[in-house]
Amino acid sequence: MLNIKDLQASVGDKQILRGISLKVNKGEVHAIMGPNGSGKSTLANVLAGREGYAVTGGSVSYLGKNLLSLIPEDRATEGLFLAFQYPVEIPGVSNSYFMKTALNAVRKHQGQPELDAIDFLKLIKEKAKLVEIPEPMLSRAVNEGFSGGEKKRNEILQMAILEPKLCLLDETDSGLDIDALQIVARGINALRSPDRAFIVVTHYQRLLNYVQPDFVHVLSAGRIVKSGGKELALELEKKGYGWLEQDKAAVR
Amino acid sequence: MTVGLPTSSVFTEKSVNAEGFWLEAKRRDGSAIQVKPEPVTNGRRLTIPAGCQATLIEKNESLRPEPYTTQSKWEIVLTQGAKLNHYKLVHEGPQATHHSFLEVDVQKAASFQSHVFLFEGAQIRNTIHVRMTGEDAECLLEGLYVGSGTRVIENHTLIEHQKPRGTSRELYKGILDGQSRGLFDGLIIVQKEAQKTDSAQTNKNLLLSAEAKAVSNPELKIFANDVKCKHGSTIGQIDASQLFYMRSRGVPQAEARRLLVYAFASEMIEQVEVPALREILFPCLNLATSIRK
Repeated sequence: MLNIKDLQASVGDKQILRGISLKVNKGEVHAIMGPNGSGKSTLANVLAGREGYAVTGGSVSYLGKNLLSLIPEDRATEGLFLAFQYPVEIPGVSNSYFMKTALNAVRKHQGQPELDAIDFLKLIKEKAKLVEIPEPMLSRAVNEGFSGGEKKRNEILQMAILEPKLCLLDETDSGLDIDALQIVARGINALRSPDRAFIVVTHYQRLLNYVQPDFVHVLSAGRIVKSGGKELALELEKKGYGWLEQDKAAVR
Repeated sequence: MTVGLPTSSVFTEKSVNAEGFWLEAKRRDGSAIQVKPEPVTNGRRLTIPAGCQATLIEKNESLRPEPYTTQSKWEIVLTQGAKLNHYKLVHEGPQATHHSFLEVDVQKAASFQSHVFLFEGAQIRNTIHVRMTGEDAECLLEGLYVGSGTRVIENHTLIEHQKPRGTSRELYKGILDGQSRGLFDGLIIVQKEAQKTDSAQTNKNLLLSAEAKAVSNPELKIFANDVKCKHGSTIGQIDASQLFYMRSRGVPQAEARRLLVYAFASEMIEQVEVPALREILFPCLNLATSIRK
C-alpha cells in the first residue's frame, strides 16, 4: 500500500529526515517511536502534504501512485488520513457541516453519490457514539473551545466518518488522560480491518498497550535505527531511547 | 447589551425616491403608531417617539451598469427610551458611487443599533455619527464590507458619549480581494461628563490577495476619568493551518477558502433579527465572496 524509499526532507535549512525507508501493507499497524526531534511528526506531515516541508530526496508510492506529486486534498480523497497532533480550531464552521463537506468530497472522488443532510446526520450520530462525542459538540464550531481530549476524539470521529485506507496518527495519545486514551484506542481498534493500514506515531508505549502494533520502528535523528515487533516497544519503555541514540552515533 | 426585539413591521427604502413612506413603530403597550420621516436639507429626519421601538431597513440595490451616484442622508432622533434597529444593505451597480450619511441623536435610556452591509458598488462611503446625548444610552454599530476588483470602501464612524453610563459596542469586519481598498476610521469620544461609560471598538480585516489593502484607524479620545474603554484592530490573511486542516480532509482548496471567508463574515449576518433580510444577505455574501477561487 505504502512504500517509502530513502525519504529525505527538510524544514527551512534544517535537514530532518535523513533517508527513511518503510513498507506498509494492507491491514498492518506500524508504530513509529522515537525521542523528541527525531522526525516523527515531520514524517507524518510530509506524507499528508503540509506546506513548509521540502522533500529533498527519495520517493513515496501509495497505491501505485507517486504520493508526493499529489496535493493534500487529493491525498485525502485517495484515502490517506492524518490525525493531527494539534487539531486546528475553525471558528464559524460547524463540526458536522465541515465533516459533511469532507465526506462528500471523498465520496464524489470515489464515484459515490453525495450524502444528503438527513443521511449524514444519521451517520455522524452513529459514529459519534463510538468515541463518546455528545451531539451538541457536532453542531459547535470545529474544535473551538474543545478540551485536548475532545479534540483528539474529534479526530478519530473524522477518521471513522471518512473511512480512509491509510491512517496516520500523529501523537494522538499526547495530552490524554487514561479514560480519553481508552476511548481513542477503542475508536482506532474499531476501524482496524484487513483493508486498512495504520501508522501510529507516538513518543510513549502507553497507547500501544491498547492498540497492538504489528511492527515497531524507532526513529532517531531522521533515520529508522531499529525495527521489530511489538516487544520492541516494551523494551523501549524499560530502557528509554538512550541506548539507541548511542547506536545512532555509531551509524554516523 | 440588552436591546429589545424589533417589531415585525419594517420600513423599506429603495435607493431612488422614497417619498410618502411611513414607518410603523410600536409603543410599550404593543399598540402601533405611524412615524413619518420629515424632509430636512439633503435628506430626511426620523424621530422615534419616547418609549417606542422600530426597525428601519434601508436597501440600496441597483443593477444599472453605467456610472451614477446615490446619496443617502438620514437624521435619526431617538427620544427617551426609544429603540431603533437600522439595517443598511448597499448593493449598487458596478460603476456606482454610494455616499451615505447617518446622524443619530440617542437620548436618555434610548438604544440604537446599526447593521451595515456593504457588498457592491465602485466607491462606497459610509459615515455614521452617533451622539449619545442622554444618560444610560446604548449604541451598537456593526458593519461588514466586502471589496473586490478595484472597489474602494470607506467607513467613518463617530460615537460621542456626552452623558454618564452610556454603553457602546462597535464591530466592523472587512473582506478585501483583488485590488480593493478598505478603510475603517472609527473615533470614540468620551466627554468629561460621561463617567461610567462602557465602550468597545473592534475592526477586523481579512485580505484575500496581495494587492488588496486595508487601513484601520481606531481612535479613542477620553476626557472622563472613570470609564471602561477598549479598542483593537487586526489585518490578516486566511490562516494557513486552518486551510491545510480542511484540505487534509479532502475539501478542495477553493471550497476551503470559501468556507473560511464565510465563517469570518457569517457572525455578522447571524445577528440580523429580521429573517427575510437574513435570507437576502446570505446569498449576497456568497456572491461577494465567490469571485475568486
